Amino acid sequence: MNIRYGITEKEIEAARFCIDCASSLGAEGARVSLSKNVLDTVALLNGDIDKVTHCADRSIYLYLYIDGKYGTYSTNLLENEQLEDFVRRAVDATRMLTRDEFRKLPEASRCERNAVDGLELGLYDPAYAGITPRQRTEMAMAGSIFPGDDVRKNVPGDATDDARDDTSDDARDDARVKDAAPYRIISEECEWNDSVDDNYLIDSQGFEGRHTETSFSFWTEVTICAEDGKKYSGYSWKASTRLKDVSAGGCSQEALEKAVAQMNPKRVRSGKKTMVVDCNSSSRLVSPLLSALSASAIQQKNSFLEGCLGKKVFSQDFYLDDLARTPGKAGSRLFDTEGVATADRVVIEGGVVRMFFVNTYMAGKTGLEPTIEGVSRPVVRPFSSFGKSSVPDHSHNIPDTDTKVIPASARTNPDTQVIPNLSREEIMLQCGEGILVTGFNGGNCNQTTGDFSYGVEGFLFSKGKIIHPVREMVITGNMTELWNSLLAAGDDPREGTRWQIPTLAFKDVTFNS
Amino acid sequence: MKLSRDYFLKTFRTDVGQMEKIVAQALKEGGDWCDLYFEYTTYNELTLRDSEVTSGGFHIDYGVGVRVLNGERTGYAYSESTDYQDMLSAAKAASVISLSSRGGDTPLSSRSGSHLSSRPGDATTLSSGSSAVSGEIYPKPYYQSLHPWAEASSEAFIPFLKDLEQRIKSRDSRAAKVIARLSYSYTDTLMFNSLGELTCDSRPLGSVTVSVIYSSEGRNESKSASRSFRCGAEMIGEKLCEELVSEATRGIDALFEARRPKGGKMPVVMGAGASGILLHEAMGHAFEADFNRKGQSIFAEKMGQRICPQGIDIIDDGTIPGNRGACNFDDEGVPGQKTYMVSDGILTSYLHDRISARHYGVEPTGNGRRESFRFAPLPRMRATYMGNGTADPASIIADVRKGVFVDEFSNGQVKIGEGDFTFYVKSGFLIENGRLTAPVKDLNIIGNGPQALVDILAVGNDLKIDNGTWTCGKEQSVPVSVGMPTVLVKSLTVGGE
Repeated sequence: MNIRYGITEKEIEAARFCIDCASSLGAEGARVSLSKNVLDTVALLNGDIDKVTHCADRSIYLYLYIDGKYGTYSTNLLENEQLEDFVRRAVDATRMLTRDEFRKLPEASRCERNAVDGLELGLYDPAYAGITPRQRTEMAMAGSIFPGDDVRKNVPGDATDDARDDTSDDARDDARVKDAAPYRIISEECEWNDSVDDNYLIDSQGFEGRHTETSFSFWTEVTICAEDGKKYSGYSWKASTRLKDVSAGGCSQEALEKAVAQMNPKRVRSGKKTMVVDCNSSSRLVSPLLSALSASAIQQKNSFLEGCLGKKVFSQDFYLDDLARTPGKAGSRLFDTEGVATADRVVIEGGVVRMFFVNTYMAGKTGLEPTIEGVSRPVVRPFSSFGKSSVPDHSHNIPDTDTKVIPASARTNPDTQVIPNLSREEIMLQCGEGILVTGFNGGNCNQTTGDFSYGVEGFLFSKGKIIHPVREMVITGNMTELWNSLLAAGDDPREGTRWQIPTLAFKDVTFNS
Repeated sequence: MKLSRDYFLKTFRTDVGQMEKIVAQALKEGGDWCDLYFEYTTYNELTLRDSEVTSGGFHIDYGVGVRVLNGERTGYAYSESTDYQDMLSAAKAASVISLSSRGGDTPLSSRSGSHLSSRPGDATTLSSGSSAVSGEIYPKPYYQSLHPWAEASSEAFIPFLKDLEQRIKSRDSRAAKVIARLSYSYTDTLMFNSLGELTCDSRPLGSVTVSVIYSSEGRNESKSASRSFRCGAEMIGEKLCEELVSEATRGIDALFEARRPKGGKMPVVMGAGASGILLHEAMGHAFEADFNRKGQSIFAEKMGQRICPQGIDIIDDGTIPGNRGACNFDDEGVPGQKTYMVSDGILTSYLHDRISARHYGVEPTGNGRRESFRFAPLPRMRATYMGNGTADPASIIADVRKGVFVDEFSNGQVKIGEGDFTFYVKSGFLIENGRLTAPVKDLNIIGNGPQALVDILAVGNDLKIDNGTWTCGKEQSVPVSVGMPTVLVKSLTVGGE
C-alpha cells in the first residue's frame, strides 16, 4: 500500500547510514528512530475559517552505546553530509559521559519480528490519501452550530475567490441555537485535524520495525454569557484512526448544551460523598497509577507503589489491562521505543499489582524482569458492585497463569463484553446520590505518597438525576484509598482514545467546597 | 556575543531578495500580511542519576515558518529545509487562507513608532526598506552570553552536577536519591515580513533542575528546585549551586511533619516569589488579547475599568535582563517591552500580538510568541508579576487570625471564561493568631480570578521574581517567569481533609 507522506526508501537509507556511521566510529550499539508526521488543520471561529495550517515534520533520533556510555541525539537535518557530522559529534559527546554498565540494547530475542510494513495493526486508513482541502473545511463546518449553507464558497484550495459575505455577529444571530434562552453565544471554536505518523526503528543488532497510523479528529468549544454576565464553556470532540468514524455533526450543539448546563452553579456542603467521574475525565485518575508503576519512578523511590508487585493494593474488583495489540484501535503498537515486542498484559488483577513497566535499563538497575517501557492501551474492565445483574464474569478474561501475559485465546477486549447497561446514567442511578465529576480544574497527585488534591467541576445528582451544577469544589485523598473505594467501572470508554477508561464511581470521597 | 546580519543570512542560507520572492508567493492569492520565521536551535542536556552523569545528548531543530494573514485569519505552513523551492512550497500552502477570506481594513503596524531608540538588545534589526536601522548592534541586551553555550564542552559541566548532588547529601542525610539535570539551548532566529522588516536574534537559555527524594522512617518525600536564565555558561558556578542546594534542602523537617489542613474558606497569604503562578494562571491568561478578541475572557469589555483595589499594578515584562521570559524581540519581530495590564487597579492593556493589536487599534506589545517555527505566534506572557505594595510582609501574616500561608506551588489551571482557578500547593503553613504554626502540604486552593483581585487586602513591599523553570503550555510551550510580593487575599477555598 502506498502511504501518503510516508517514509521514503531514501529516508530509510538515511537511518541505516546513521547506524553504519556510528558503528564505524566505534559504537558497540546504536538505535535510530526515524519519524515522519504530517498534520493538517482547519480551525473555525464562529462558523468561519480562522486558521489553516499544514505541518510536515521528519526527524532522526539516535541512541548510542559506546564504551559502556550512553547518549541520545536528534536532528531534522537529514542530508547525508549533515548526518555524518551529526553522528560524529554524537559519538564524541557520548564519550564524554560516565560509564553505566546497565545501558545496553534489549536482548534481540525480546524484539518484535513482524512489524514489517507498519500496516500490520490496521491503523493506517487508506482514505487519508484522498482527503482534499475542500473536504477538511466541509468536515470542520459540519460540526458548527452556525449556518453552513455557503460552505462551498469558503473552501481553501478551491479556485473560487468568493468571499464569505457575513460577519461574526450576523452568523451568531443566525445560529441554529437562537431562541429565547437566557444566554448569548460568545464564541464557537471548531477544529478539524487529520494526520499521518510513520515511524521506522532500526538497531545495530538487526532489528527493524515500522509503525504507521492515521488520526482524524474534530474538536469544538462553545462559550456563552449568561444574563448575569457570567461566562461558561463546554467542549466536545470525536476522534478515530478511521475517517469514516469521525462525524462532526452535532458536536458543537453538544458543547453548547454542556456550557448551558453549567449555568447557575451552587456550592455544595463539604463532606464525604459518592463520586462518579465521567468517561471524558476519568483518565486523570488512572494516570497517577501508571506513573507509579514505572520502574524508573520505583528505582528513584518516587513511587507510592514501590514494593507492591504481586500484592493486593486496590479494590478486588479493579482490573486494568494493557491491550497493546488490538487491531484498528488507537494506542495499539507491536513494539515499544526500544523495539521490544508488546503483549496484551494484565497490569492490575483483582486489585493485585501484576506488573511494573520495566525497560532494559531499569531491569539492569533494579533487578526486575524487563517487561515493556510503558503502557500502550490501558483498558479498565467494567463491573458494578451494586447488583449481580451487572457484574461481569471476569474468569474468561483472566489468565490462570503467573506470566500475566494474556494468552491469545483469552484476549478478550472488555470493549466487546456484553454487560447490561453500565453507562454513566446507569451508574449514577445505582449510586443514588453524589457528585458527577465532568472535568478537572488543576490539582496534582504526589507520586511519592499517592496523596492527591484536584479541583473538580460537575453536578450534584440525586436518585440518578442531575440536580444542579456545583462550583469551586476540591477532592482530596490518597490514590491507594481511592482505588480501594471503587464502586463501579462503566462500559463506556470513549471511542478513538488510546486510554480506554470508562465512567468510574467511588464511595466516600472527600469534597471541599 | 555580537552577531552580524550576514551571520544570520548565512546560517539560514537565504538572502533578502529570496525572502521577498517567498513573501510575494505567499501573498499571491491575496492577504495583507506575511512573515517568515527562521529558527536554528541546538538543545543540550546532561543528567546525573545515582551519583553519575550517565546520560546526555543534543538535539538540532532547523526550519522556517511562513504565515499569511488575511484580516484576522491565518494560514500557516513550515519547512524543515530552507532550500528555495521548499520555502516556496510552504508559502503556497500558507496562502490558501486567502482563497476563502477577506482582508482586514486596518493595516498591521510596522515597528516604526515602537521603542527602538530606547530599547536595548544584542539583536540586529534591519530592513530591506528605507526606514531600516541597518546592521545596528545594541550595546545593552536583555540577554547575552559572556561564555556562549555553543563554545562550551558538556564535559565541563559534569563536576557541577556532581558537586550539586554531594552538597545536598552532605547537608541532609535523609537525601536518598538525587536527579540533577542541566539543559541549555541556543537559538538563532531571523524574521522577515511583508513590510520588508528584517529582525535577527540569538537566544541563549540555560536551566538546572534538581529533584530529591528524602527517606525517613520508611516514608519518602520529594523536593525540587530549579533555576533558569537567558544567559551563557557563566550561570554555572558556586552561586547557582548554593542557591539550588539551599532550596532543595530547606524545610525538609516540615515536609515530613506536614499534613493537610481542615478545608474550607479562609484568608490566604501568598508568599513572595512562586505565588506569581497564581497571577499567571488566574489573571494573566485572561489579559491575553486573543481570548478578549474572541470575547471569551472574563476581562473582555472591561478595558479602562477598575478591576482591583487602588495601588495594585500587574505587569508583564520582557525586559528583565537575563530573565527566562525576556525577549529582545518577540516572535513577530516586535521589540521587547514592559506592559502594564493593570495600573493602580485599572485595566489598562491586554497582551497583544499583531493580529489583536490591529483588532483593537493599538500597537503590539511584544507578546507574539511561539514554541518554534512549527507554530504560528499567539499572545503569550513573558515575566508576569504584581508590583510592590507598601505593607511589611511580617505584618501581613500578623493580621491573620486563622488562615494559610502558601509559598510553593507545582501547577495551576484556570477557566478563561469563568475565571475559576485551582492551584496545587506543595508546601505552606497554617496561620493561627498571626503566627505561622503547623506545616501543610498537598492541598489545593481554588477561587475566582477577578474576585480574588477584588479581595486583595494587602500587598507587601517584597516583590520577588521566581527564576524557576516555568513553562506556559497554552497550545504551545514557551518559557516564562513569574513574580509576586507577599499578598493577603481575604477568602479562598482551601481543599483539605
